[in-house]
Amino acid sequence: MKHTKQQNWILYIPLILIAIFMLFPVLWVVSSSLKPSGELFSWPPSIIPQNFTLNNYISAFQESNFTRYLFNTVFVTVAATVLTLVINTMAGYALAKYRFRGSAVILVFFLSTLMIPLEALMIPMFIVLKNLGLYNTLWGIIIPPAATPTGVFLVRQYLMSVPDEMIEAAKIDGASDWKIFIRLILPLAKPILATLTIFSIMWRWQDYIWPLIAISDSNLYTLELALANFVGQYSVDWGPLLAMAVLTMVPLIIIFLIFQRFFIRGIMMTGMKD
Amino acid sequence: MKKPAAMIAMGVLSGLVAAGCSGGEETGQDSSSGDTVTLDVIWFSDGNEGEVFKEITEDYKSENPNVEFNIIETPYDDIYNRIRTRVSGGDAPDLARISNPGAVSDALLRLDGEFGNKEEFYNQLKPSARPWAEVNGEFVAVPTDLTAHGLYYNKEYFEQAGVEVPDSTEDIWNWSEFADAIEKVKENSDARMGLAYDMSPSRYSTLIYQNGGRIFSEDGQSLKINESESVEALEYFNELHEREIIPQSIWLGGENPNSLFRSGQAAAHLSGNWNLQNYSDNADFEWGVTYMPQKAQRSSVAGGKQMVTFKDSEHKEEAVKFMKYFISKEQNKKYVSESLFISPRSDIENIEYAAETEAMNIFNNELSVTPEATAEDWSNFEYMPDVEQKITENVQRTLDGAMTPQEAMDSIVESSDVGSE
Amino acid sequence: MKSEKPWIPYAFLLPNALIFGIFVGLPAVYGIVYSFTEWNGISSATFIGLENFKTILTDSEFWTMLFRTLIYVIAVVPLTVVCALGLAWLLTRGLKGSNVFRAIFFLPVMISFIVAGLIWNWILQTDTGLINYILSLVDIEPVGWLSNPVFANISVILVTVWNRVGFFMLIFIAGLLNISPTLYEAAEIDGAGTWKKFRNITIPMLRPITLLVIILCFIEFFKTFALVVSLTGGGPINATRYYVQYTYDTAFGMGEFGLGSALSLILFVIMGIVTLIQWKVSNGGRV
Repeated sequence: MKHTKQQNWILYIPLILIAIFMLFPVLWVVSSSLKPSGELFSWPPSIIPQNFTLNNYISAFQESNFTRYLFNTVFVTVAATVLTLVINTMAGYALAKYRFRGSAVILVFFLSTLMIPLEALMIPMFIVLKNLGLYNTLWGIIIPPAATPTGVFLVRQYLMSVPDEMIEAAKIDGASDWKIFIRLILPLAKPILATLTIFSIMWRWQDYIWPLIAISDSNLYTLELALANFVGQYSVDWGPLLAMAVLTMVPLIIIFLIFQRFFIRGIMMTGMKD
Repeated sequence: MKKPAAMIAMGVLSGLVAAGCSGGEETGQDSSSGDTVTLDVIWFSDGNEGEVFKEITEDYKSENPNVEFNIIETPYDDIYNRIRTRVSGGDAPDLARISNPGAVSDALLRLDGEFGNKEEFYNQLKPSARPWAEVNGEFVAVPTDLTAHGLYYNKEYFEQAGVEVPDSTEDIWNWSEFADAIEKVKENSDARMGLAYDMSPSRYSTLIYQNGGRIFSEDGQSLKINESESVEALEYFNELHEREIIPQSIWLGGENPNSLFRSGQAAAHLSGNWNLQNYSDNADFEWGVTYMPQKAQRSSVAGGKQMVTFKDSEHKEEAVKFMKYFISKEQNKKYVSESLFISPRSDIENIEYAAETEAMNIFNNELSVTPEATAEDWSNFEYMPDVEQKITENVQRTLDGAMTPQEAMDSIVESSDVGSE
Repeated sequence: MKSEKPWIPYAFLLPNALIFGIFVGLPAVYGIVYSFTEWNGISSATFIGLENFKTILTDSEFWTMLFRTLIYVIAVVPLTVVCALGLAWLLTRGLKGSNVFRAIFFLPVMISFIVAGLIWNWILQTDTGLINYILSLVDIEPVGWLSNPVFANISVILVTVWNRVGFFMLIFIAGLLNISPTLYEAAEIDGAGTWKKFRNITIPMLRPITLLVIILCFIEFFKTFALVVSLTGGGPINATRYYVQYTYDTAFGMGEFGLGSALSLILFVIMGIVTLIQWKVSNGGRV
């Protein structure tokens, strides 16, 4: 046991060094967002705000309809994430555990579309949205990106390690395909579903291209669209931009901390074996 | 190409049908009030002009109670994407604020008939505003404000170094005096850097015009940028970098010149009037605006913003009516004086600005001495997008030492297809 | 596994395929059609056959740009995969404070590309950046992080890894948690050490997830765009102007949507081929 303890201590060195590298730009954003605009670019840079102020946050709230955008963003994120989880898990399961004609082709087709830069397709995407009556509605940002190939691929790769025998056994007990999916597969997939939930929340929270195409009513803007509006032709409105960046990040951190607990079970399991 | 065209046509058709059926429903307006028209305006802001515009629309609404505005704030980089997407998708906005009518000219409504006599309207404009109203000889855009390049300086640093800036058009620096002056300030004051010079082909071209050169020939069908005037301009620009008067990090490293000046690190900033508001709000030291140097002649470069409506806009008539209101002498005066812009109208002069009137007068003066070649070059919508990108690249190559000024300018001419079509 | 009712797997796939086909598949078909046309994004397109492809493939600038993109991808993909796996492994050792570290490593992922690029651009500035300031305190000359073409590429690679490693780390963590502890216990009984367990159990059991991460990294970084544009703008002198920015500038900057679509189609083919090879070599990541 002594040996392990010493080894563990060594592991903290890389962890702490990397943590500093990961953390300091984020802290720099937070610290800068609390500076008055005259101090933002001062030289030498002040690591900690010299003239602490909340003005940037106040003007971020005032200049944009923050609560409205927050509500839109939360609504879009929650609805899209539920939809993503349901349809991606179903598709990922089918591709992982059933053998049927065209399964590989379908997956490669899904994946290959990831390779097309969406920026190049904005005009046809808009035409489709408009003809389906989704233009200028929040559903126009919720439905289209829900069928993400990354999610399907993620679930498929994860479920491939579920032994076929388990499913066969359940079948012999007379469970239907749907029941097996709900009762057996979903509980097994918890860690990957937690991961996919976090990913989906992040994707939708930060989505830019679909909202840009789908929304033309400023009452339906999301936070990310509002954030981008601080960048003009000649100038960036730094103070409110930084404050807004912090404000959009905070809910994500909270959500991440909540979903973390899905990993704890596993960590205790792996922790035991050392 | 039948298929996409047909699909687009279908999109346009269904858009029209939907619009026809539901009136202003898309923007959430109550259609029961009958005549209410909601104008979709695509807008972007650098400073407070969005707020001023909103006030003007409020005034307009009180005079025209049947009109509503849906102002769609858009980041500048996505303005043309948004316009293209909506036009191609059969949902053209009613109005848009743009800075380059050439980028979307096919979609724009010809204003000749709408504004009465085209010449009559043009006569109300300053010469440097006119080229921005026309694409291929067609009147498609209403210039709403003009921009001019100019020179900001940090008063404290110039005083520390004992360097005086020209206080009238009589004692304007020539190029070498200018370089020496900035160098002296840099060395004899607390300034860490000399001149912050915007990384922009437009700002760069100021030097070409000051030296009596131009980018395109008069008919816009060939390049003159490799002639001696332009090459000398690049030699001078390169010298400013070699003497470390301009820090390399701007043109080669994407350093933000705005923040260099605003934080008191650079002694001067060559930029444009759009920074006035920012500096007036954010710079906590004494600064001023003075005249740019001259070589063969004085010159600034005129840019500007325009308002346009589209062939497929739903409410063309109302849109044109509003544009006429917006460019009227009274409203334009309000708009430019509160947003610190230069008016495109020739009959608005000596305005009392909301702030920084003295500085604005210098920008106005810079613009008044600017030769027409600048506006002709920069409104060459067919070739400028490509040439502009090549100017930046090749100027950078020169500063990096990979090319001589002559080679760099020749390479622009060789690699472009100006006049070939 | 085979189902008695052959339609079942298709039923599972249907909702996803439907949404995907309509909103992404259909526009992609348009994109393919446009690549054979000359089109400015507004007026109707004219069919010009293979002209766009000819223009692209005979343009030396295209090949330089493609080569530059490949170098970037080849550097950034392995670095990200190795770092992500390393971090995931460290965080599944049952160390105290793992939760905190995991949250910290994931933080950069929560910052949008626009903001991440703007912030790093500011931190890495030659004359005014935080890093050079810190270096100046210990008497190190300023480094041209963004103004020297070689350093600019290094900066872009490091910022990419900083921004994205947490994302792939999380996938690896999920994968590591899925490995049955009994396998490790059995190996321990056979006297296997940490390295041996990692090589003989972790690596093979992680194959499906590793393939996933490699393919996703590859696709994502080949398409890198928003982050790099706001970090370097593609400079200095185009040194960091990669494929999608080139495509975007062609389509939106110069109004050549036909050419832009053709560039997208070429990218699609290149990545399709590479992914297919990865897929075949790894047998779909089967254990």
